[in-house]
Amino acid sequence: MQFFRKKRLFIILIGFIILVALIGFSLGDRKNLSTPEQFIKDTVGWAQSVIHTPVKFAANIFTNIDDLKNTYDENKLLKEKLSQYKGLIYEVQEIKEENEQLRKTLEKTESIRDFNPIQAAVMSRTPERWVEQLTINKGEQDGVKTDMAVITADGMVGKIQTTSEFTSTVQLLTGFDQFNRISATISRKDGKDIFGMIEEFDEETNSLLFKIIEESDKDLKKGELVVSSGMGGVFPAGLLIGTVKEVVPDQYGLTRTALIKPAADMYEINNVIIVDRTLNEAKTDEQEDTE
Amino acid sequence: MKRLYLPLILFLFVISEGVALELLPPKLVMSDLLIIPHWVLIFLVFVSIFYDKEQTYYSVLYGAIFGLLIDIVYTGVLGVYMFTYALVIYIIHGLKKLLHANIHVTLLLGFIGIVLADLVIYLIFFVIGLTEMPGKDYLIYRVIPTILANLLFLLVLYPFFKKRLIKWSEEQLTNS
Repeated sequence: MQFFRKKRLFIILIGFIILVALIGFSLGDRKNLSTPEQFIKDTVGWAQSVIHTPVKFAANIFTNIDDLKNTYDENKLLKEKLSQYKGLIYEVQEIKEENEQLRKTLEKTESIRDFNPIQAAVMSRTPERWVEQLTINKGEQDGVKTDMAVITADGMVGKIQTTSEFTSTVQLLTGFDQFNRISATISRKDGKDIFGMIEEFDEETNSLLFKIIEESDKDLKKGELVVSSGMGGVFPAGLLIGTVKEVVPDQYGLTRTALIKPAADMYEINNVIIVDRTLNEAKTDEQEDTE
Repeated sequence: MKRLYLPLILFLFVISEGVALELLPPKLVMSDLLIIPHWVLIFLVFVSIFYDKEQTYYSVLYGAIFGLLIDIVYTGVLGVYMFTYALVIYIIHGLKKLLHANIHVTLLLGFIGIVLADLVIYLIFFVIGLTEMPGKDYLIYRVIPTILANLLFLLVLYPFFKKRLIKWSEEQLTNS
């Protein structure tokens, strides 16, 4: 009996050591997943894509009934808006064409705004709510790489955290910490743009913290749009992140922090677009070297 | 062939945990309450009560394997669920020797299992800095809703699997 007790304690201790070693391994500075992890993720991802469709169908029946009730009112409103947009579309097309022509005359065809969209469907969401992750059905085979921005039609939702061959994992904005910063801007007339960094997601206020680094922060208004600035080198410029909710001074009173309400709905995400910036990083790396 | 039933069912639960949130109404998901599906753990509690004999530890082994699977697929931090599930199921395995297997005992053991597992996961995540939720908030917003939701799931599952697991246990474990 004495022997068995010792053996039991021994096993628990070994388990604990394995736990610490594994956590250390996975939290360490690693760029992508190891091969067995990728293989398991792809296998599970394949099985999930099989099971996801019927579950989604069943879940949708209930929300569809809810939606039907509101359809009439929404339809009225949307029709009004649509007529306004028609004029806008024409205007945008004109401006785009003009922009392209001007760029050609300047011989500067690549811009940090350009990107190749990769369409993907969401397959699962992590049940562990402290880890805000999604799994999507596109991987390295489709050209997805780590750190690419992920958007929906409404705005930015996150970035690619890890990739495997056929699936990849998206870190949502709501799970961003101080290691995932986004260089962002609020666009103003006359070159008085406000620049800053989206630093992290604050759970108490349910908003992103936008640290403003410029001095011109005096007249920040509620409801202004915050977009990515493209200066970080990874995300393209012009992706909508959210709207300003409130401006508060930081703890030292030197800079100001704007609370940003994310534009995209973080809970009902079904289809996403992965943003592959066309202006590739190799060039920016070289630029950094020469500087 | 029949020995593959248990791993297959467990694998199915691992997969369906990923779409579990979509089954809940959006209002509940968007609120402050955090409901975490521990379906794999619930089924492992069943396995440990009805399938395992006193000298076999299949449930603990499955706990480690499928815990690791959850770690890889859903959290990216390896070892947390693996260690937690194996440890908790080991404790459940020890406790079930003292009690008779019926619905009340299953509920009690399921309750103990969920509380212990979630607590250990919270502790580990807190230590490595994945969450900064204070203990009081954790108790109100996460533990209570999670326990209620999972016990409901346990009650739904109970009639389906009790007899089957006992049958499989007799077929597979008596002659080995």
